[in-house]
Amino acid sequence: MKSTHKFGMNNETKEKIKKRYDQILTRGERFWPDSIFKDAVMALAIFLVLVLLASFVGVPVEPKADPSDTSYIPRPEWYFLFLFKFLALYGQIPLLGKIEWLATVIIPTIAILLLVVMPFIDHKSERHYSKRVLPISIMGILVVSMVTLTLMSDVPTGPTLVGALQTIGGLVIPSLAYILLLFVFKNMSNKTMIWTAGITAALMIGFCGAVLALYQAPPSTTETVATTVVEQIQAGQQLYSVNCVECHGDDGKTTTIKGVKGLEGKQIFAINSKDVLNTLDDPALEGVIAYGRPDAGMNPFGKAYNAQGLSKSEMGYIVVFMRYMWDDRFEKPTLKPLYPPLAAGEIPSYEAQIKPIVDRYCVSCHRPQKVNRSYLMDTYDHILKSGDDAPNVTAGDMNSILMQLIQGQRAVVSGDGIDAMPPNGKLPADVVDVFKRWVAAGMPNTAADAKALPTAVPTAKP
Amino acid sequence: MHSIGMWQKLRTAYTTVYQWLDERLGLGEMYTNLLDRPEPLGNWWNTLGSASLFLFILQAATGIFLTVYYTPSPDHAYDSINYIMTGVAFGWLVRGIHHWGATLMVLVVFIHMLRVFVTASYKYPRELTWLVGVGLLLLTLGMGFTGYLLPWNQKAYWATTVATQIAGSMPFVGDFILKALRGGPDLSALTLQRFFAAHIWILPAVLIALIGIHLYLIIKHGESHFPTKED
Repeated sequence: MKSTHKFGMNNETKEKIKKRYDQILTRGERFWPDSIFKDAVMALAIFLVLVLLASFVGVPVEPKADPSDTSYIPRPEWYFLFLFKFLALYGQIPLLGKIEWLATVIIPTIAILLLVVMPFIDHKSERHYSKRVLPISIMGILVVSMVTLTLMSDVPTGPTLVGALQTIGGLVIPSLAYILLLFVFKNMSNKTMIWTAGITAALMIGFCGAVLALYQAPPSTTETVATTVVEQIQAGQQLYSVNCVECHGDDGKTTTIKGVKGLEGKQIFAINSKDVLNTLDDPALEGVIAYGRPDAGMNPFGKAYNAQGLSKSEMGYIVVFMRYMWDDRFEKPTLKPLYPPLAAGEIPSYEAQIKPIVDRYCVSCHRPQKVNRSYLMDTYDHILKSGDDAPNVTAGDMNSILMQLIQGQRAVVSGDGIDAMPPNGKLPADVVDVFKRWVAAGMPNTAADAKALPTAVPTAKP
Repeated sequence: MHSIGMWQKLRTAYTTVYQWLDERLGLGEMYTNLLDRPEPLGNWWNTLGSASLFLFILQAATGIFLTVYYTPSPDHAYDSINYIMTGVAFGWLVRGIHHWGATLMVLVVFIHMLRVFVTASYKYPRELTWLVGVGLLLLTLGMGFTGYLLPWNQKAYWATTVATQIAGSMPFVGDFILKALRGGPDLSALTLQRFFAAHIWILPAVLIALIGIHLYLIIKHGESHFPTKED
């Protein structure tokens, strides 16, 4: 009996396939234990690979999502990168490239539809590779495309040599190959098709290799991410020192702002008080930092209002810092000391001791564009040489302007006077002692410089 | 003498329990129908399907552990994952496996598809198995897409912004799809909640159903053999 279907094969062929399969089975294996054994080995191998990846590579840390940070360069998941790249290359095609939805919608839809209808287009019973050279060649080029596009996804597209190489290798060559295979070599021998596909793949890989070799990635500027509480407190403290100390003081106690342009004498809440910490939860505190309190004089620090502002993660670190340092409901973990402790008679250096101290207490005001009589304290040279009253500090001079001010005295400079520094509180005694030792010993820059100096005459009580 | 008596008692006990269970569950039939099946000679390429299944089970198991601590809200998602990584015992391992498992699953499912394509195993009588398989591949990508947003970090947020924008470029229905995916014109708490629901309920439910059909069809038709010149 012979009957043909709309699509598919006639019953005779079906019988033949079934018969052949039964024959194959007689020379086959058992699902249990033969196949299952291999499956189990594979599963175990996968599990081990995953455990190794989780242990030794880990999950890369990223800063918190920040909708206001529009400078972030978005990248999709790695398995969509090839589509992303294809879209970028496609966009360069004149005229057609302007119709975005052709590439974003029509082409992926066609690809999925092709997969769906594959068994119905390719309904002949032939299965051996030699009888399916055309589809295998096309799929091969497609896979090479996906891999090379993924590899090149980081390289910007544009009217440069690298851009041109990408367009040729990623778009022109495979398109030409598809046209050749589907329309020109349609009835050619297997050899022609295999050679075409092979040369195409080799060219694509070659172009991709050239692109990767020629392209120099710019140094990445990744935001550091703090994960543990201690890391977050330290990150928060650093950010607080630069951005907040100016008005709120290093301990958050300040209630009257001093020495800040436009805010002189302004009355503010002590942000280390229970009034603030107990009544505002974390999102509220982050909100105050992000949006500011214009009537109270607080500037917004969120990126939506301040391009140089803080990221969502960074504002989070500041809040963590405030909680663990000032909120008595939080238990403060042991933190690294501000500067490496000094032995009796040991000479401090700028690098090891003075820099972290200055960063904590001084830099918030003594950086560019602040009220500071042009005295910048962000580098070693600036500390020694900058300022309207330069030099503010001189090796061995225990009565320099800086030394007077940090010891709570008013200094007289060219007829004018400067009040004690920092304006909103006194430096701890140990910090003043470090300064004294450093100035007395000759203000060494690096730790090696300090070591090279003869042990100083103790200038302060140990 | 004493030990032999013990041994025999154990054997009788085992036989009694096995027979009781066999009469009710049909263990013997299960063995002959499911396990003791003849198959064509296979090689390591044949393990990719079961490897995909294994990865799915692993993703489900680690995913369930993660939901114990994960909070799908923009205020807490990031911190809850940070807590899983630093505060929960072996949380880093569970999340690490889930993270890399997702990547590996996309790869393995894709290579499985390529293998079936190259050996033309999608042909009669396995067309439906292939169709269901295409569905499984798309669902796996969907799982990756929805899961990617959940950590609510910069990469996740902006990747999803771009991907939903691409969906929004569709003519006529683009705007509707964009809003349906995001739950509004912009990425928000609603988007996260939506992706979370899709990631842990909707897509897995469909996946499990399709995996069931896929497995039934494989048992029904048997694994295909590697083609020779005769095929």
